[in-house]
Amino acid sequence: MAAIANLVRRVFGRRGGGHGGIRSFVYPMFKEVEVKTGSLVGVDKYGNKYYENKKRYFFGRHRWVVYTGEMNGKNTLWDVDASMVPPDWHRWLHSITDHPPTTHPLESQKFLAEVHQFNVSATPQQYVPYPTTRKKIHEWVPPKAGAQ
Amino acid sequence: MFLSAAVRSAVSRTARQVRGLHRSAARSGAGGVFVHRDTPNNNPDTPFEFTEENKKRIQTILSMYPEGHKQAATIPVLDLAQRQHGWLPIAAMNKVAEVLGVAPMRVYEVATFYTMFQRQPVGKYFIQVCTTTPCMLCNSDSVLEAIQNKLGIKVGESTADNMFTLIEVECLGACVNAPMVQINDNYYEDLTPKDIEDIIDELKAGRVPPPGPRSGRFSCEPAGGLTSLTGPPTGPGFGVRPDL
Amino acid sequence: MLRLPSVGRALAGAAKGGLAPANPARVPARAASNMVEVFVDGKPVEVEPGTTVLQACEKAGIQIPRFCYHERLSVAGNCRMCLVEIEKAPKPVAACAMPVMKGWNILTDSEKTRKAREGVMEFLLANHPLDCPICDQGGECDLQDQSMQFGSDRSRFTEGKRAVEDKNIGPLIKTIMTRCIQCTRCVRFASEIAGVEDLGTTGRGNDLQIGTYVEKMFMSELSGNVIDVCPVGALTSKPYAFTARPWETRKTESIDVLDAVGSNIVVSTRAGEVMRVIPRLHEDINEEWISDKTRFAYDGLKRQRLTQPMAKDASGQLSPVTWEETLTRVAGALQGVQGSEVAAVAGGMVDAEALVSLKDLLNRLNSENLCTEEVFPMSGAGADLRSNYLLNTRIAGIEESDLLLLVGTNPRYEAPLFNARIRKSWLHNELRVAVVGHQVDLTYTYDHLGEETSVLKELADGTHPFCQVLAAAKRPVVVVGSGVLQREDGAAILSSVSTVAQNARTSSGVEDGWKVLNVLHRVASQVAALDLGYKAGVDTIRKNPPKVLFLLGADAGCITRADLPKDCLVVYQGHHGDVGAPMADIVLPGAAYTEKSGTYVNTEGRSQHTMVAVSPPGLAREDWKIIRAVSELAGVTLPYDTLDEVRARLAEVSPNLVRYDDVEEANYFKQANELAATVNQNLITTAPLVPPQVLAKDFYMTDSISRASQTMAKCVKALTEGAAAVDEPSVC
Repeated sequence: MAAIANLVRRVFGRRGGGHGGIRSFVYPMFKEVEVKTGSLVGVDKYGNKYYENKKRYFFGRHRWVVYTGEMNGKNTLWDVDASMVPPDWHRWLHSITDHPPTTHPLESQKFLAEVHQFNVSATPQQYVPYPTTRKKIHEWVPPKAGAQ
Repeated sequence: MFLSAAVRSAVSRTARQVRGLHRSAARSGAGGVFVHRDTPNNNPDTPFEFTEENKKRIQTILSMYPEGHKQAATIPVLDLAQRQHGWLPIAAMNKVAEVLGVAPMRVYEVATFYTMFQRQPVGKYFIQVCTTTPCMLCNSDSVLEAIQNKLGIKVGESTADNMFTLIEVECLGACVNAPMVQINDNYYEDLTPKDIEDIIDELKAGRVPPPGPRSGRFSCEPAGGLTSLTGPPTGPGFGVRPDL
Repeated sequence: MLRLPSVGRALAGAAKGGLAPANPARVPARAASNMVEVFVDGKPVEVEPGTTVLQACEKAGIQIPRFCYHERLSVAGNCRMCLVEIEKAPKPVAACAMPVMKGWNILTDSEKTRKAREGVMEFLLANHPLDCPICDQGGECDLQDQSMQFGSDRSRFTEGKRAVEDKNIGPLIKTIMTRCIQCTRCVRFASEIAGVEDLGTTGRGNDLQIGTYVEKMFMSELSGNVIDVCPVGALTSKPYAFTARPWETRKTESIDVLDAVGSNIVVSTRAGEVMRVIPRLHEDINEEWISDKTRFAYDGLKRQRLTQPMAKDASGQLSPVTWEETLTRVAGALQGVQGSEVAAVAGGMVDAEALVSLKDLLNRLNSENLCTEEVFPMSGAGADLRSNYLLNTRIAGIEESDLLLLVGTNPRYEAPLFNARIRKSWLHNELRVAVVGHQVDLTYTYDHLGEETSVLKELADGTHPFCQVLAAAKRPVVVVGSGVLQREDGAAILSSVSTVAQNARTSSGVEDGWKVLNVLHRVASQVAALDLGYKAGVDTIRKNPPKVLFLLGADAGCITRADLPKDCLVVYQGHHGDVGAPMADIVLPGAAYTEKSGTYVNTEGRSQHTMVAVSPPGLAREDWKIIRAVSELAGVTLPYDTLDEVRARLAEVSPNLVRYDDVEEANYFKQANELAATVNQNLITTAPLVPPQVLAKDFYMTDSISRASQTMAKCVKALTEGAAAVDEPSVC
């Protein structure tokens, strides 16, 4: 009974750290198959929201992110990727530190990207290693059309 | 590459002058290395042709061997070529191969095997000094030194006018008349430094001194006179028991 | 000089007997009563008189160590490794040169024998460098093996070692002459087998060395065999240098397809790459030699390869596409035209499996336009009688013949192993050779009858003086090269040759089994193609230009774009981008001979098959599988799915194709000649009979593989500009 009440509170209650509204309930249900309640710690410049609830959840599950719907020009409503988290929030999210970047912003470093980039693995932009050894087979390169 | 080539050429240059411990006469003398290197006076394009007289001689030599065995005439024909030209350039060896109808390589094999075939230019008079033990014991070193001083050349060199070439050789089989020297085909035996200087003077003057011993011996009889067979031969029954 | 005239031969009879004891080139078997009994380690063995101690031991199953002795070369007896003790003999004897006597007891493992071997080994190693770790012969070195087995375990040698200058004898053979032990095997190989007396020994004693004396390339089409013959690492392969070790390569027994002889080879591979090709023993074909093209053209298998299907895009540029799309396009094109508008041309290196698949495919499409690039006259008997296009006498049969007439061929470059066999017979069996055609250096002497076609005509008429010689011969052989059959009057030439052969046959009273007429082919696929019913020559395609032309490895350039209508779709299937691929609209990548199990029939009609040594590169596939895939998409599925089923189909068409290593007897010479007589013999033009390969440089690059090979290109360069032009700085 209490669980149901809790669920209802999570759905509708804004005060209790719930997401508020039917939409905010349904989307996470589809995206994460779970609805958590917790306090909003901050929002990064791309719109990813970071939550924390130390009381209800076990360590390791106590911080989470709700991804933004659009990032770097890509529709990320459904196509989410863990690499959408920028490095400053990554530290906090993975409990490397307890200080969120909202209170302790990262020192700016020249190697930190201005705009956070996704991981490009499994995309056409991915890095493909190439051999530096001699080729075993040299393929024929057809002559350019009209050259002959 | 350059370094090794430089080292190799330096080594081969010194090898020709310094007599190595294991070097045979062919190596230290006019023989040199057993590969051919083209030089201006020794390359396949240098013309070489047998004289008419020698061509007849070749026919005579070849007629001694049965059909199909002309290769057997390699040594006499090579010798003929060497006598005509003074030494054996590569062109002469090719010509010999052509005359005999064999592959040039078969002629090169023979010419490099025998030390009496000179594959490098030699002077008109080719002086071979024997310095093997019997001659050495009879002081062949003084003979060698006399030649070197007289001609101003070292072993393995030729004089500037290309008249004399000097090499040291192993035993020439005239130990009984040691020390001895072979100049072209002639043996000069029982030599003293004075004798060899006289011989060289004669040769320089264009005369060939008579070969043979210089000590007054006729041939290889004992130097101090006969030690046996001095009396007349004994008659029959000599040394036999008187009762028989 | 090796070959003595008959007078000298009688005189040198005894010496001759010792020249090649293992191969006296077919002497009649002696009566059993003549056998000599000897004992090897007490075990009795019966041998023929004149057998050497070494051979007697071999017969008893005991191998004597040896370096200079080679069973196909004359006996030199200079390495002394084969010393064995003979009971009651005062000294050990050299087993390779000593004929056995009755009742001898040969002790191959006695104390004295072992000491003798150890002593010889010590002397051999005195001047041999200890550079096995950087020597290419390491692992397959006779000296290494035998020093492990028979040598001492320590050295007493403290002096300096001899060093010998390396020689540059061409782009194929690397020489490290310091390693040489002066066995003179290479010298004997060059003068006896190859017939090129370039190698020899110069100097004497400690300074003896092997070389050419003058700076010179060792120019022989069989030169690579000195690498195998050399028992140490003095002569090694230049292209193979420092690339692989024998124990890390995988060996695949295969056959060669670069000429029509079908030499047996071993393909050494490592990590999916062909590292080298070495010969395999086959007494009836190549003995244990292979030609330089067979041995060294393997680097052509790694260059200019077709690795993915290609098709012309809208701009007319060939660009890679997927197999699905390519096969669909080919099948669609085949479906879209009439059967008579489809034609196929097969090249010189196509296997019988691909040939039969393609034929079945086109036949199912109602097309009969299947041709080979290589021309063979189809008038007269044509390819209907098998005897008309085979080397009927067989390669080994040359050793039994006494007269050979070569017509318009240069076997030295068209079939080097066949030429080696002729030379062997010429040397040991008094074979007389005559040539009608261009005067070329064949490594043996021959009667040159002239190069005019009129000579051939006179021979056919019986008016030529040589006809008497032909008539007097007991076992004459007439060989016509396929090179001259490419001419317009090829049919007339073949007909004349057939008449010459038939006349020789009837007039000289040869026994029934003896075949006279022979055709020497130049490409590996031709006999199989003719067996399967391909038409030889592309004339029909020139006359009736097709709408779809299928080129199966056709790289000789017989058909060009100019011969075809503009809208003709050309499909090229093959393994190299050479001549055929650039003119194609669709390119299907096939497999080369090292990458597929393919059946090839050599010029004598012997079917053999290659084995898969490496997988085809990239997306390339075995040829018959591609055709099978096309057939399925074109709606005329071929009824075979596995190699065995294809071979069953081959057996259906021509059973001899799958009887591997067997030669089907071909006959009907008389009928073939009668049919040949129907050809108008007056067609013969006056052009001289010049075979296509005259000079040595014509030998190296003849097909798509050897044309892609850099080693072969270097050979041609070395021949035209001198060996120094391709000299590479050696590593050691």
